[in-house]
Amino acid sequence: MKKVSIYRPTTVDEAIQILSQHGSSAAVYAGGTDLLVRLKNRLEQAPSYLVDIKKIDHLRYIKEDAQGGVEIGAATKLAELADSKLLQEKYPMLVEAIGKISSPELRNASTLGGDLLQEVWCQYLRGGYSCWRNGGYLCYGAIGDNSYYHSAMGGRLCYAVYPGDAATALIPFDARAKLATPQGEKELSVEQMVPGDMLVDGKIQSHVVRYNEILTSVVVPPPKPGVRASFEKLRPRGVWDFAMASLGISLQLRDKTIEDSRVVFGGISGKPYRDAAVEAFLKGKTLNADLGEQAVSVALAGAAPLKYNATKIDMAKGLLASGLARLNA
Amino acid sequence: MQPIEALLLEPVGCLAEFPSAPFHEITVRLFGPKGKAISSASRSYWRLLNLMDATKTPLDVEQKNLAETLEVEAVHASSLYEDVVPALAELKSMGIRVFVVSSLSRRAVLKFIERNSLGEFLSGVCTRDDADGVKSAPLVTALGRAFLARESAMFLTDTLDGVKTARSAGVHPILMMNDPDEAQRLAMHNPAGGVISLHEMPDFLRVIAAQYKRTLRKP
Repeated sequence: MKKVSIYRPTTVDEAIQILSQHGSSAAVYAGGTDLLVRLKNRLEQAPSYLVDIKKIDHLRYIKEDAQGGVEIGAATKLAELADSKLLQEKYPMLVEAIGKISSPELRNASTLGGDLLQEVWCQYLRGGYSCWRNGGYLCYGAIGDNSYYHSAMGGRLCYAVYPGDAATALIPFDARAKLATPQGEKELSVEQMVPGDMLVDGKIQSHVVRYNEILTSVVVPPPKPGVRASFEKLRPRGVWDFAMASLGISLQLRDKTIEDSRVVFGGISGKPYRDAAVEAFLKGKTLNADLGEQAVSVALAGAAPLKYNATKIDMAKGLLASGLARLNA
Repeated sequence: MQPIEALLLEPVGCLAEFPSAPFHEITVRLFGPKGKAISSASRSYWRLLNLMDATKTPLDVEQKNLAETLEVEAVHASSLYEDVVPALAELKSMGIRVFVVSSLSRRAVLKFIERNSLGEFLSGVCTRDDADGVKSAPLVTALGRAFLARESAMFLTDTLDGVKTARSAGVHPILMMNDPDEAQRLAMHNPAGGVISLHEMPDFLRVIAAQYKRTLRKP
């Protein structure tokens, strides 16, 4: 394992100070289910200084806010989300999605913030190849085995998919993220926070959180009346794995008419892929048994599969059809 | 890697899809049968360049004319990759100098540039006629004429010969990974980097510049 120094700050301000001091050679350490694996694999890109935020109060909670939405501390364990009665009552789709992330053991350690901001799980990066995210200038996934964890929707230097399921499930609810920064609190939508391969502080990463910023919480707005939502996921192993394709979908209905929708695909692109064409198509349509097939015909028009992963697009389209069928049931 | 100031681009395999037959025909007519025709234009082209480079006696006028004529034919049959013009426009706006540096004849290269209206994006052109040689000769000549430091230039290529040529000229060899299987094999020869298409080059250069800036900030 790569040798590291660990700091244990007790306040967010202290943590930000430490992160600022060490630049991009430091990283936030919470659940460790992604970070410790990168350290164990001695990746060049793995940090040398860990800022353990587990001693900081007020980062691990699930509470209803004044507007009737729910605020979730970034260090809240995924298992706590999966067991939350409040979330089950307000956003059952989110609870279902969280329950499909990895294994029960890992959900006991992983945090919501970690799931949202995790590094990609490309086998070449994790195997220590000198790729774009690991000190090199070449994407091995684009030319090697890209059947599982690589984008079928094009790429931007790195072709690994964004692996998190939580974002795919949160975006349909227009969830927002709060960040603590040296300049104060910053708020942005979850969709804006994970826009796919970005050059941030000289590194390629899936999110826009800078080296000296900390995700502190996620706020899910109150459920709108008439909203139905569904989460679907296909993975190489049914027991636990990352998505080969997933779908978070929400429909706002008046009787059977779709007034608004969010259609977000996971596991097929470098970001949670919101399909604006499908959302536009669904607007004003009646939710019925035929709608899935019609929606599939306009879905994922910009698909650009690599050599071995065209099947991901078929999977994603299949999930859209089954998601709509489930919401119609 | 230090920030990159210039890209050296070889039209064959980097900017356009060329037919392989004209290069095979030049090979056969100048050097006799040298193995069967290769379907990849790039590999056929570089096989020809290796023969040109190795020949002890320079080509006579008739041979030069023959090669030139067939190369122009190849240019006429070539099709520019669709991402080339937007990528070159972006590179120009970033202040990156782009040179067409080729072992093709001057006539063929100029025809290629004219046919595809690439002139406005280019800072210079260097061909085998300008350099009086093939493979690394045009690269070295282009660098000298433009007063470019070798480590601040990249040469894009999709063949092993191209990688070796870039190395011998002292510039960074960058793979154009058009064919994933071939790119996998070439990646084992430690190129300095690789791109799927030319439209990735602006981001590539931004990453290098940002990383360099970060290293300067370190105590």
